[in-house]
Amino acid sequence: MHEFLAQLANGVELGAIYALIALGYTLVYGILELINFAHGDVYTFGSFVALGILVGLRAAGALHGAGLILGIAAALIAAILASALLNAGIERLAYRRLRKAPRLAPLITAIGVSFMLENLIELWQGSAPVPFPNVIPNPQLQIGALEVGVQQIVVVALAIVTMIALHFFVQRSKLGKAMRAVAQDRDAASLVGINVDRTIAMTFLIAGALAGVAGFVGGVSFGSAWFLNGFGAGLRAFTAAVLGGIGNIAGAMLGGFLIGMLESFSTWLIGGQWSNVAVFSVLILVLVFRPSGLLGETLPEKV
Amino acid sequence: MDLPLSGADASVGTSTLDGIKLAVARANAKGVPGGFTFAVQALDDTQQGVHNPQQGASNVRTLIADDSVLAIIGPYNSNVAAAEIPITNQAGIVQISPSAVSDGLTLGKDAAMLRRANPGVNTFFRVCTTDSRQGSAAARFALDLKLKRAYIVDDNETYGLDLANVFARDFTKLGGTVLGRDHIAPDTQDFKALLLKIKGYKPDFIFFGGTTSTGGGLLRRQMFDVGMGKLAFMGGDGIPDIAEVAKKRADGTYYTVAAPNADLLPAAKRFVAAYKAKFGSDVGPYSANAYAATEVAISAIERAIEANGNKMPTRAEVLAKIPRGAKNEVLTPIGPISFDTNGDVRKPVISLYAIRNGRSSFIEQLNLSE
Repeated sequence: MHEFLAQLANGVELGAIYALIALGYTLVYGILELINFAHGDVYTFGSFVALGILVGLRAAGALHGAGLILGIAAALIAAILASALLNAGIERLAYRRLRKAPRLAPLITAIGVSFMLENLIELWQGSAPVPFPNVIPNPQLQIGALEVGVQQIVVVALAIVTMIALHFFVQRSKLGKAMRAVAQDRDAASLVGINVDRTIAMTFLIAGALAGVAGFVGGVSFGSAWFLNGFGAGLRAFTAAVLGGIGNIAGAMLGGFLIGMLESFSTWLIGGQWSNVAVFSVLILVLVFRPSGLLGETLPEKV
Repeated sequence: MDLPLSGADASVGTSTLDGIKLAVARANAKGVPGGFTFAVQALDDTQQGVHNPQQGASNVRTLIADDSVLAIIGPYNSNVAAAEIPITNQAGIVQISPSAVSDGLTLGKDAAMLRRANPGVNTFFRVCTTDSRQGSAAARFALDLKLKRAYIVDDNETYGLDLANVFARDFTKLGGTVLGRDHIAPDTQDFKALLLKIKGYKPDFIFFGGTTSTGGGLLRRQMFDVGMGKLAFMGGDGIPDIAEVAKKRADGTYYTVAAPNADLLPAAKRFVAAYKAKFGSDVGPYSANAYAATEVAISAIERAIEANGNKMPTRAEVLAKIPRGAKNEVLTPIGPISFDTNGDVRKPVISLYAIRNGRSSFIEQLNLSE
């Protein structure tokens, strides 16, 4: 029981990170029907930006007392801004002019952008993993039979707050409504006066911001940033988005948590070398038996 | 000699070659019996930027065709050695590698296959130790440290898996308990699920077969995130740089290195000083080994010259003078060297280091005899 709870908590922590990334895939897919393969690398970029800020602040001796909270906030905000702008920039430069092209063209472009980002990040940070500063004090707390670290609580709390904020943004705000309208029918949306280009750009901006949060919490949770991190994490998050039903926001969150728990439990019960097999078997099974995902509606076939 | 001197291996190849050059220069300066001088003929086994077994084999044939070549130093890599050993075995010429560590080059069926042209004769020697010896030394160190219950994790790669296998075997043989084993998938980022599982076994320590970059660094780091920070962590010569990733969290890590501690050997200090003076750079990872391999070859040749009445000896006479058993050990910067019947160092020394306050400190060393 003790161990089950510990693995569950770890699965939730991992799942929170995957869910944040999966939301980025799903938002973009929802509005453009494009699988943005560069999204994982936007996450890596966010991680490195947060790392850079924290290392800089620590070198300046600013990470003490109240400075620690401010420093963490600064790193988080910088990661959010950097990833959001990067993702919006990618949309503007690489995808916008392909919006009327056959669906395969932007898809291949996304893969190309992903490789480019990976190589640029490698050029910038080198090919070895870079240690992420241990900024969040991590005493272990005993809550009933459950033992969790403070860091774990912070990671999950940050992710959940972000997701709640996203939910209200999409459901209540004017821009959120515009996003949903464009996702439903782009032409009709523009007929009622919605600026489609701006709405799509905003969607990329928000997806990037989520990747930035994920980059920060991922760096904190794993303790390192690496130029290829986004590839593996991106694939798992993509699996999560498909599992939940791609294009469906609640589905991406659910899928993220399920994939995180699957990874944690398969490592516990079968062995670490099989966790990838377990995760990607789920991708295959979902695609074969329920292509629309757990919460997705059945859509006519798209890429 | 034969080494990789260009491409990706160029820097280690060159610093290894410098070790050879230094040994030859010192021998010539001291004077060789019979008025001979030693010369280095450097051949590169790189093709298209990577060390290449075929190129190595062809280099060795070139050297053998030259009658004045009495010994070959090299190669650097195990796969090149596997291509060269059958040729030097057939020719009966001494070959000493500074760095080829794969067990199969000297041991078991694999080695017998390499020597099939001349099964009774062994011409291949190496001054480095093998993966398996390091694993068994680690098992003894662990028990010395009163660490009796191990959980073993490896990275599923050749080096890491071999090390973990030997450690598991010898640790059990010496009375330790292996609670369980796990292999990690490449590029894993989250080790907490694995660590939580290990935590349930209540081990005294985790043994890791692999390198810092294949998971050792993150594994050690994340131990703190699941409340296992105080647990000991041990590995081989793949993790001396673990503090670069795990920082202060590396404290409590033990690792083995297949060489004596340089501070304990006056010969090592002298070597480092002489190397820096001659080449103006720091010693490479295998410079000292190359120097030692060359000293062993030079001593064998010199004794063969003397035994031959100060005339040029044959290759077989040089081979006969290679130090074996307890006699004629050659004192080198990496310790006294003589070989066993397989061609491995008879008394390999394995050192144990611990990381304290983010720095490596020497704990003890073990002389592994046959």
